[in-house]
Amino acid sequence: MAEPIIRAENLVKRFGPFTALDGIDLEIHKGEVHALLGDNGAGKSTLIKILSGVHRPTGGQLYVEGRPVTFHSPRDATAHGIGTVYQDLALNPLMSVTRNFFMGRELKKGPGAFGLLDMKRMNEITHAEMIKIGINISDPGQAVGTMSGGQRQTLAIARAIHFGAKVLILDEPTSALGQKQQMEVLKTMMRVRKRGDIAIIFITHNEIHSKLVADRYTFLALGEVIGGGTREDLAGEDIRRLMAGGQQIADLERELQEV
Amino acid sequence: MTLAQEPVSPSPAPQRSEADRLARRGRFDTLVRRPEIGSFLVMVAVIVAIGFASGGVAFNPLGLKNNLAIISQYGIIAVGASLLMIAGDFDLSIGSMIGFAGMCMAMMLKWGLPFGLGPATPFTAFAITLVLTLSIGWLIGTIVVRSGLSSFIVTLSFLFLLRGLTEVFFRLINQSTQISGLPDFKEDSWFASLFGGQSFQWLYDIWFATGGNINRQGEQWVTGLDARVAWWIVVAAVAWIVLSRTQAGNWIFATGDNSEAARANGVPVDRVRIGLFMTTALCATIFAACQVFDTNTADAAKGNLKELEAIAIAVVGGTLMTGGFGSILGVIFGAVTFGLVANAVFFIPAIDGSYYRVFVGIVLLIAVFLNESVRKRITGGI
Repeated sequence: MAEPIIRAENLVKRFGPFTALDGIDLEIHKGEVHALLGDNGAGKSTLIKILSGVHRPTGGQLYVEGRPVTFHSPRDATAHGIGTVYQDLALNPLMSVTRNFFMGRELKKGPGAFGLLDMKRMNEITHAEMIKIGINISDPGQAVGTMSGGQRQTLAIARAIHFGAKVLILDEPTSALGQKQQMEVLKTMMRVRKRGDIAIIFITHNEIHSKLVADRYTFLALGEVIGGGTREDLAGEDIRRLMAGGQQIADLERELQEV
Repeated sequence: MTLAQEPVSPSPAPQRSEADRLARRGRFDTLVRRPEIGSFLVMVAVIVAIGFASGGVAFNPLGLKNNLAIISQYGIIAVGASLLMIAGDFDLSIGSMIGFAGMCMAMMLKWGLPFGLGPATPFTAFAITLVLTLSIGWLIGTIVVRSGLSSFIVTLSFLFLLRGLTEVFFRLINQSTQISGLPDFKEDSWFASLFGGQSFQWLYDIWFATGGNINRQGEQWVTGLDARVAWWIVVAAVAWIVLSRTQAGNWIFATGDNSEAARANGVPVDRVRIGLFMTTALCATIFAACQVFDTNTADAAKGNLKELEAIAIAVVGGTLMTGGFGSILGVIFGAVTFGLVANAVFFIPAIDGSYYRVFVGIVLLIAVFLNESVRKRITGGI
């Protein structure tokens, strides 16, 4: 097996007396969709915040392409090719598609501090990148507020890829969307996967979605990895059991009977 | 509505995509939907109404000069206030900052530089004042950013603090809360005339040459506009370019719309906000310099309530109270409207200053409703 693009070894994160993550091992491979599943409070958010440089782990080590790394800020993580698409997408609804696409990384022409925005080129790039990922926006000058949830998700993904993301962390990208738009996002993910050079970490609650796109699974519960493996390793029943936090569905059924 | 439910059809067209649901608009429709359109129409209505009511006096050579003097005063501070509002903050200390800056300059011109450094020139008085006001702007911005408190309450405290300091220093050093009878610096100092002198003399020369602008003796009547008109144009032009065509402008919009999103994308949100508090301080200082060098006086009460008028003009110009959206062009229209109405009392004998406040109240309320509908239209009703 090729060197994983991200490898986490025994990650521990404590917030004061509270242990959020207790020895997590994780391997992320290029060209794969890696589903990260678990109940609320399982530690998914803490884990992706460590991967994206928001938090620093209390213990353990992170490797990017085999080299040990320490992220001091989200900027560090971005520089190492880890792009995070947060649930709120980090988009500004009142601003145009292009202005959102290049937010914080605007293209300028002219001398240094007096450079003006190169709107024409930014519009062209935005349009081209959106088409690559499967959405033809008619007007890059339209406000993001006028776009559908699925389109916004795609914009955020296209932006992360354009700015050099080799690993895309998608934080519940389908959770706030309608059925049709969820499918759009899943299609977008598969188009990105097809490129072969980008890994996707897909955080979700939705078993069906993860089955549709994921190549590999990791299940978290109470800050620990309780299971995982490739699509082939896991049978459908396993996924549901592991998603419920490792508790046997049968146990749950019995408990429910007793209520 | 673009977000309406999709019609159910048995055989949908194969090429239909999300992108097609945003209707393309014609040029006229695009023009009508611009955020400045409301303030533009109000401005035209006010110009026509005041032109008629004053019998044209408001726009004769002297009327135009007097009106533009007030308009550009409003314009200078409203531009600063609207940039700050677009980034999502308020500055209630603008008016007190005007009084404070005017006090500093006049006091140095009258009593000399601090620490016994000798007499002040207009340049040194302005430069030291600017360093002071920019530092206060930086301090306000830093407090707002670091504490996470609302800029409304922090700048409110500076409204009282700066006004109080102005009065205290006047009483301690000058024994009176006003200074008058300073030498007419603008006669000798090019720097003072840059603020207190005239601009656009050529326009009035042409006006005279083409048969207008004549007084009763048959000589040229008015020689030019106030220098502050040129300052207003410079401030507004720079703000317009920065906002619409530079990286800083994109950062200002991003900061006001959703500062967390901006931060996640690497926008230095804190620096943008602090920089804009310094910008409003700069605008207040330019305002004060024009006043001091024009009239050669200063008064502790100068600039009172100007912060609220600046915010009102910014809102009437289409700036959203919640940040993230606004237009310098709209603010220019708003300043023209407010300046004309504030000055109307001099041209229309039947009214007094109270009518101005009635007008401001009504226009402001209408503008807020309009802006809200603009915001809904942009964000698709969310």
